[in-house]
This record gives sequence, structure tokens and C-alpha cells, in this order.
Amino acid sequence: MKDFIRIGENPVHGEIHGYGVACLVRRRTPIPTAELRSFAASLMKTISSGCLAQGAKDIGHIKAYIEHDNGFLIADTVGDPEDLTIEGKEGKAATTFRIVVNSVVFGLSHEVVGRVTDDALKQVTEEYGLSREPENHDSGNSMRGNENAGDSE
Amino acid sequence: MKLVQIAGYLGSGKTTLIIALAKMMAGPGLKTAVIVNDAGEVPVDGRVMEEFGLTVKDIGGGCICCQVAGNMIRTLESLAKGPRPDLIFVEPTGMAVPKTIRENVLPGAEKNGIVMGPTIVLLDATRAEKLLTYDTLKRLVSTQLRDADIIALSKADRVTPETLEKTHYAAAQINPAAAVLELSTHSGKGLVELAGAVRERVVAA
Repeated sequence: MKDFIRIGENPVHGEIHGYGVACLVRRRTPIPTAELRSFAASLMKTISSGCLAQGAKDIGHIKAYIEHDNGFLIADTVGDPEDLTIEGKEGKAATTFRIVVNSVVFGLSHEVVGRVTDDALKQVTEEYGLSREPENHDSGNSMRGNENAGDSE
Repeated sequence: MKLVQIAGYLGSGKTTLIIALAKMMAGPGLKTAVIVNDAGEVPVDGRVMEEFGLTVKDIGGGCICCQVAGNMIRTLESLAKGPRPDLIFVEPTGMAVPKTIRENVLPGAEKNGIVMGPTIVLLDATRAEKLLTYDTLKRLVSTQLRDADIIALSKADRVTPETLEKTHYAAAQINPAAAVLELSTHSGKGLVELAGAVRERVVAA
């Protein structure tokens, strides 16, 4: 007899926690596609390995959606930090990007998932010479969640 | 309106499959909408689907199998009163129990003109061994597979034939009534079969 979840209960809901963050990042010099891909990969690896280092039982998924004036990238990883998917419609080099990161992890508290994600975002944006700022809520974007990830650079 | 649930654990490829199926099935005679319930606090999947030209209704704030079940019903009612798509893909969170979603929808299905299509549950072939043996996850993933009309072994191109065979066997053991097929959105393997099932199959209430 298999051990199934009964209607009305879902023990996994108490063990899997998601954290989302959205921000704008900028750099004076345009970021070409290859460098943006590298940035996305580094961000995924840093979050994923950070969660595993904190004792995550499983990386449900780490996803990033990065958009700019003439294109977008989607990066995601599950489990193995080295096993990444990066795809999208890549346009010309740009200086301003909107980034949404979603980390869903089994076996870590919401606070830890959030801290690891925020720390990784800070670290990797700095490595690539990007400055972060909160989203402009008048821009018409309808994303929810923690949209105050920008620091005061 | 035909409702097709694309379920499965986190990272199993639900969003990618919906985009691939919608592209494959697109045509002048078919209006498609997607209801997405993102597990994260800031939705990503809905935005990705919109980039690929799909009409998306995003439900946040919890899991549609339990915490925000009412939002799912209201979204279906609004689709029924408004654009009335021919086909609605529902992408629940990777933590959702498909049968619960189905049971939430069924009472209002007739009133809203909803026909139930197959529940397709993805099992990531690259992680199946862990997911079917590890901690609380095995209960969730087994339950998701049990609720499937069709089990799609996703990322089939990224494992050995031996692993695929083992995964196929394990899935069939959990749900002998479900059709089990191998899927790779990368190579296209299994997509035609799934599109056919989405188009033609109706599941009795």
C-alpha cells in the first residue's frame, strides 16, 4: 500500500517555502547577452548552492526572469547547482534590467530562503558592477511580493 | 471550455510543457488560456508564458489545491463569463494535489460550461529516484502520480534508457491505470501524443 496524502492535508506545505524578490538593476556600460547569461547562471548557482549549504533537503526550483527593453532571459535550476537552463529572447545589449527571482526550497524556513536569495542577489549584482534599486510601482508592472530588495547605492 | 491540468512536482517542466503544447496546438479555431498558480511570492511562470503570447490568469497567495481554492473557482467563472476559451490549461504549484483541484472545480463545472480534460502529471526523470524515495516528498509525488490520467516522464532525453525504464516501472506501479509516456520538450518526444490527448480526451466527472 502506497503512502499517499489524504484530501484536506498536505504536509509538504509546511516544509516547502518560497521567497520572491523583484528589483531593477543598472550599469553605466551596456551588458551584452553573453555577460547577462553569465550573470543569470552565477545568480542561480549562488542561490542554489547557498540553500544547500544551509541544509536544504531539496531545491524545488530557483528561477529568475530578467527583462530589458528589447529582450528577456529565463534562468532556472533544480537540485544540482551546475544543472542550469537559460533561455529567452535575447536582444541588444542594455543598461537597465528588471529582475524577478523566485526560490522555492524544501527543508529551509522562509526566512533562511529569503536571506540566502537576497544575499546572493546582492553578491552577484556587485560582482557584475550593477547597482540595484526598488521597482517603480508606477511602471505598470503588476508583480507582487518583496519588491523592496534594492539597496541604497 | 475544456480544463486540462498540467501538474507535477517543482521543476518538473510544467511551464515549458504548457508553452510547447500551446504553440503546437495554436490555430484560428482554438482559444487557449492558462491559469497559473506560482509557488513563489513573486510570480514568474505567468510572465514567461505571456512572453510566448499566451493569455494568462495568475493566481498567487497560496496553493490552489487548498489555500486559495476559491480564487481558482472565481477565475474560472470570470473566464466563463468573459473570453470563454476553448481550452484552459491549469498549472498548479508543484506542491499541489491534483485530485483536490479537480474536486474543487467539479461542483461548478456544468454551470460554467467546463468539460474535464485529462490530468497530466509530470515526473522529472532526472530526479525520480530521489522524489519517490525521499522523506515527505515521496508522499506528495506518489499522490500526484496517483491522481494522473497521464503520467509524462519529463526530461527523458537526459537520462539513460535504464533509468527511464526504472522510472516508467515505478510510475506504473503507483498508478497502473494511467498512461505513462516519455516526454522531452527539448527533442519533441511525446508532445504529439500529449497534444492529441489534450484535444480529444474527456474525463468523466
